[in-house]
Amino acid sequence: MWAMAMKEFRQMRRDRRTLAMMILLPVLLLVVFGYAASFDVDRVKTVVVGPQAEQAAAALPDRLDVIRTAPGEGRRDAVEALRDAEAAVAIVTGDGQPQVLVDGADLFSARSVVTELRGRPELPAPQVLFNPGLETSAIMVPGLMGVVLVFVGTIATALGVVRERQSGTLEQLAVMPFRARDVLVGKLLPYLGVAVVDLAVIVAVGVLLFNVPFAGSPLVFALGALLFLFVTVGIGVLISTVSETQGQAIQLAIMTMLPQILLSGLIFPLQAMAAGVRWIGYLLPLTYFVQVARGVMVRGAPFEALVFPLAMLAVLGAVVFGLSVARFRRDLAPAGRRHDPGQAGDAGQDETAPARAGAR
Amino acid sequence: MSPPAPAPLASAAGATRRFGELTVVDGVDLTVAAGEVVGLIGANGAGKTTLIRMLLGLLAPTAGQVRLFGEPPSRRTRARLGYVPQSLGLYEDLTVAENLAFSTAAYGSSDAVLEGELAEARDTLIRDLPLGLRRRAAFAIALGHHPDLLVLDEPTSGVDPLQRARLWETIRASAEEGAGVLVTTHHLGEAEQCDRLVVLAAGRVAAAGTMAEVVGDTTAVEIRTPSWEAAFTALDLARLPVSLVGRTLRVPGANPASVARLLAEAGVDADVAPVPASFEETFVVLAA
Amino acid sequence: MTGPENRLWGCRGLRVRYGGTVALDDVTFEVAAGSVAAVVGGDGAGKTTLVRALAGTVRPAAGTVRRPDRRRLGYVSAGPGVWADLTVDENLSFAGRAYGLSADQLEVRVGALLERTGLAAARDRLVARLSGGMRQKLALAMAVAHEPELLLLDEPTTGVDPVSRAELWRLLASAAADGAAVVVATTYLDEAERAASVLVLDRGRALLAGTPDEVLAATPGLVVEGPARPDGVPSWRRGARWRAWSADGSTPPGTSPVSLDLEDAAIVAQLRQDQPRAA
Repeated sequence: MWAMAMKEFRQMRRDRRTLAMMILLPVLLLVVFGYAASFDVDRVKTVVVGPQAEQAAAALPDRLDVIRTAPGEGRRDAVEALRDAEAAVAIVTGDGQPQVLVDGADLFSARSVVTELRGRPELPAPQVLFNPGLETSAIMVPGLMGVVLVFVGTIATALGVVRERQSGTLEQLAVMPFRARDVLVGKLLPYLGVAVVDLAVIVAVGVLLFNVPFAGSPLVFALGALLFLFVTVGIGVLISTVSETQGQAIQLAIMTMLPQILLSGLIFPLQAMAAGVRWIGYLLPLTYFVQVARGVMVRGAPFEALVFPLAMLAVLGAVVFGLSVARFRRDLAPAGRRHDPGQAGDAGQDETAPARAGAR
Repeated sequence: MSPPAPAPLASAAGATRRFGELTVVDGVDLTVAAGEVVGLIGANGAGKTTLIRMLLGLLAPTAGQVRLFGEPPSRRTRARLGYVPQSLGLYEDLTVAENLAFSTAAYGSSDAVLEGELAEARDTLIRDLPLGLRRRAAFAIALGHHPDLLVLDEPTSGVDPLQRARLWETIRASAEEGAGVLVTTHHLGEAEQCDRLVVLAAGRVAAAGTMAEVVGDTTAVEIRTPSWEAAFTALDLARLPVSLVGRTLRVPGANPASVARLLAEAGVDADVAPVPASFEETFVVLAA
Repeated sequence: MTGPENRLWGCRGLRVRYGGTVALDDVTFEVAAGSVAAVVGGDGAGKTTLVRALAGTVRPAAGTVRRPDRRRLGYVSAGPGVWADLTVDENLSFAGRAYGLSADQLEVRVGALLERTGLAAARDRLVARLSGGMRQKLALAMAVAHEPELLLLDEPTTGVDPVSRAELWRLLASAAADGAAVVVATTYLDEAERAASVLVLDRGRALLAGTPDEVLAATPGLVVEGPARPDGVPSWRRGARWRAWSADGSTPPGTSPVSLDLEDAAIVAQLRQDQPRAA
């Protein structure tokens, strides 16, 4: 029995990926639960409009962090500010009682504001826009769509390509008259198709069954989903180019998915995370998709308001997908990693006889 | 007068194994005695692997008897057995020395000697060793606990002739020291190295004995002709198992007169003559 | 089908490196249409590298390679390169379509190939459920679906049962009869004896080359055999007897000369290679 344990220990010591997982995973979880896992939003971005903006701003509780006062603007502008996620709370001053507008899509900020104001009867009661019931499902379902796209994009894609490598058929493909592009796109299309169907189903279920709103433009949503898929599929292909077996691919896929699920603002709001950890969220593609999904579905935000997250997805997509295609091409094409360029003056030549006329 | 034959180390008598409706091994008789090398040959699906697994005690026979060292295979007799599967049974992510350590601990002791190149490679991961060295390592480790019976599955597949000869020296040396060796093989060259052969086809023993006995008087028809392509096509079309050897054609187990007639009908001018069949050709005829 | 044309494929002065290791060094090799050439060597000799270089999946560091366009080339990788989670028919159809066969051509060709390789009964079976020999036959069928001019096979018979092996060689011969140039990498010298020309590789270099007869004739000294290990000469086991190589042509005591085969020639070449140079 000890012989067995000893052997296993030696093997484990050499398996770097599993070791990495066993060390990194607890570290990740510690970081998350130590610094990121919180539903308490301490400072809520606030915009104050209307003629008495300055005075109102001064009188607000600390929790409301005034980022802008605009005496010249009115209620419409305040609502837009919330819709565009510029702030989570907007105070509209004017004749009579000031109005307190709260963005229901920013669920935890909204809840903390509502709770605070309940204990301050001298301040007006808040009006919750966009998700008046403060339903968790309204914001979770859009986020979950992102998770599904991450699954299909990353894991399914990685496995699909690694399976080819593992079974030795990748070499066969390299010899057939395919271009690298044919192989890659041909391989990815079914997964993209499935992802789109998955997405449609979840949207339908969310809207019809869970009463999740779909206030904004489906086109903008589709754009966001497509860009996000680019990124996740790109990550999947990248993973496949550095994995020899399906097991390794899954390990890597898990290591890229878990931080995204935990730190992208999907579950724990970004504002509640310690600043030292929050920046990680801004590097993750899922963060931006969640912003787009929630913005479009719950707030009805227009394209202009979502330019930043969409652009981030586009950039990430271009970088990751571009990198993965370059690596994949190397695996498939003759001038691949087996090429030693250090033979000055000795460059090999390939004489390829042209195909005979009248091909069969 | 020769002394009475010692009890065989491994034996199967009427061994049969069924999986549901399928009979994979059908009434097979086989013995392996001390000091001899027995070759088990068969096409895929002939039941070789299943028979081996029965002898090793991994599978119980549905009918018939299987004995290992005189008793039904059990954990107790495992220590006297050395088994090297085709995949070598080595851990790729451990070094030679570590694999040896594991085997030593499992069997309680080991006199395995790592010599020459193998000694130099003792701290190399198995995965980084070429096939020839891997096989040598697998053998050395298996022989380390002095098994009385060696069961080797395709011991030299994929290895060059010189290394193959060297590996066989090791195998024969063990036989000379008294071990019994059962080897499965697909290959003519290895069959040559065995004292006795057992040929399996469709779960049954199709032939047994020395190579000469197995080949017996099986013949093949040799065809010499300048237009081998035409002759080949004609015979292939007639569904004869024709093979190309250099520039001559051979058809095992065929009737020279029929072959000559076929070729004449196809308009091919050729010399047709019966020749003794090779072992492989015999096998093709037996398996048909 | 047009008749075999006199095209020569192969390589000249080929050198291939993998990172810092030289896998092939100055290898020259030729195969003509309508013939079968064998490349022999043990594990690590460079057979797979040579086949890959001929197929174009590996770039040479030096030397030239002559091969037809990808669409006129057929390749069976050691492995083999078949898709286990598809059926026999699906694999064949994929290969056919990849090489540009039309739907009609495909139907005819697939049917013919299945008959020829004896896989017709297994047409709708998942490849994962096929035996090793049947998989190799499928891979071969896929590689000849488009009637290539050059057919390359990497160890198609290693670990394959003798019946399937004979059938595979019959299929190779028929491909050659149809005009293809066929190159087979193998560790089995008895197979090499069947080929029209042989190249024996050892650690990336060519040890022997030519027709089997030329190779045998070019072996210096004498090969002898006897019942026991002879003294003073390099020797090796063959069956229950021993063989040895006498460089000076003399017959050591207890042995008698034997007419050598390709396996002996390869072993002798290896021994000469490993011998330190005589003073």
